[in-house]
Amino acid sequence: MDATAITTRGLSRSFRFTVREPGLGAALRSLLRPTTHEVRAVEAVSFEIGAGEIMGLLGQNGAGKTTLVKMLAGLLHPSSGEVRALGHVPWRREKGFLRRIALVMGQRYRLDWHLPAAESFEMYRAIYRVPRQECRRTLSDLCDLLDLGEVVLKPVRMLSLGERMKCELATALLHTPDLLFLDEPTIGLDVEMQARIRGFLLEYNRRRGATVILTSHYMADVEALCERVLLLDRGRVLYDGDLGALSRRLGTHKTVRVEVAGPAPELGRYGEVVERTATGARLRVPRESVPEVTARLLSEHIVSDLTVEDVPLEEVVRLAFASGVSA
Amino acid sequence: MRALGLALRFLWIGVAGQMQYRANFVAQLARSLVGLALGLAGLGVVLSNTPVLAGWRARDLLALLGVYTLVGGVIGLFVRPSMQALMRDVHLGRLDFALVLPEDAQLVASVGRVNAWSLFDVALGLGMIGYSALATGHMGILQVLTLVVTLLAGLAVVYSFWLALACSSFWLLKVENVLLVFDDLYEAARWPLSIYPGWLRWALTLLVPVALAVTFPAQTLRGQLGWWQVTGAVAAASVSLWLSRRLWLAGLRRYSGASS
Repeated sequence: MDATAITTRGLSRSFRFTVREPGLGAALRSLLRPTTHEVRAVEAVSFEIGAGEIMGLLGQNGAGKTTLVKMLAGLLHPSSGEVRALGHVPWRREKGFLRRIALVMGQRYRLDWHLPAAESFEMYRAIYRVPRQECRRTLSDLCDLLDLGEVVLKPVRMLSLGERMKCELATALLHTPDLLFLDEPTIGLDVEMQARIRGFLLEYNRRRGATVILTSHYMADVEALCERVLLLDRGRVLYDGDLGALSRRLGTHKTVRVEVAGPAPELGRYGEVVERTATGARLRVPRESVPEVTARLLSEHIVSDLTVEDVPLEEVVRLAFASGVSA
Repeated sequence: MRALGLALRFLWIGVAGQMQYRANFVAQLARSLVGLALGLAGLGVVLSNTPVLAGWRARDLLALLGVYTLVGGVIGLFVRPSMQALMRDVHLGRLDFALVLPEDAQLVASVGRVNAWSLFDVALGLGMIGYSALATGHMGILQVLTLVVTLLAGLAVVYSFWLALACSSFWLLKVENVLLVFDDLYEAARWPLSIYPGWLRWALTLLVPVALAVTFPAQTLRGQLGWWQVTGAVAAASVSLWLSRRLWLAGLRRYSGASS
């Protein structure tokens, strides 16, 4: 297997659209002489992803995440630049490429609504030309990992959102793809189901060595699955690298939660008080001062509880976009 | 062969899915039988006034009704549901799933949705054609072959017409209503083309090619279709398949899906 799963060089995609002012007059003018604007959804994006890597694609709404994923999966022609995935040019949509990829989109379903998922599995098995025996083995693995059991025998319309998503994942992975595009795979699921799906994806990646590109607005997904993130801002790469390094670089402070026995004293001298309670406070403390501050808190007060937390990833990402951090 | 295998698989999925609704099964069977009864009643009314309609005798008209029902059945089975779904999928971005499958995306989009109930119409149409052929009593291998070729050519032209209309959704909004026009015009194909005035004959052959799909095959049962017409039907089928394929590929280049 190649060491590199995806390479892009100066990948860009523009869209043209018509704009007009509100009102009937403007609508008529637009009909006769439309005003078009061009938006560069993805601009000069270059990166490489190694085989077996899990990369998180982060960005605000409209940052170009979905457009980038669609170009990588061969659904969109780039306006300019180069892209190769698994040794293929994706937009040519060669069967050899399509047989090795899978696309999972949260809240968009491919399973037949009226049939049990098991029936659809058989159709996808035929489409991907997976030998029956191999398919049976893979399905048995997937059903174990996803705890599907008899769920696959019920008509899809009778399933809960989480069960449906698990069946969608099983369908997408039936042909054991080497490259997996996950677009908001846990959207709308409850916390427990999100955790299960994350666990499953990690296990699949470990067992099969599959490369995974994940876009998600849930930072818990990114934190649990991705060591590397690509931050997109208005179509451009803002940061490409290690998630921990980004967190260390932008998370210049830590949160210290302290609870004392009895009424809370004045704690402002230990750090910036973010939140005050009857018996304690949540303090924002510079990273390098944390050991000294915690030692002072413990020696100067009767502390009943003390925790030190990193800045949440949501905050790190917000800071990254606000400060325009670069790789 | 692969295309046929895939179509049969989708058909099986459609049948399996729709068989779960027993009441619907009965209702659809009744709809097909009522359609047949009305068709036959219409024929009866016409034949009670004249034994020959524009040169077509009773068994010829029955064959025409059979081809009409069969072609309508095939359109209802694959073409209409798949093309309507294609238009929706283009607007909602759901075509993505068809495009990532390792099959020809046009094939998947063309047979991916099935209305299994139309199988009743297919069976009734085949029955009427068979009955009419037996009544004619002189069908040779060549005539059967011509019938099959003209039927396939006609279906190819009608399919291309639908695909071209469905592909317009890559550029336009709300083209579903145009498809209703097809249904209205298709009604006209249950009668021989020769009963219509010249301009309508022209429109039903070239503009909305329903006559090509129905009248031509039915004429083979009367032994009245010349080689030039068969060749013309095959050429028309080839050209329309080629044109609709070009339109599909152009549409795909324009397709951008929907954002999440």
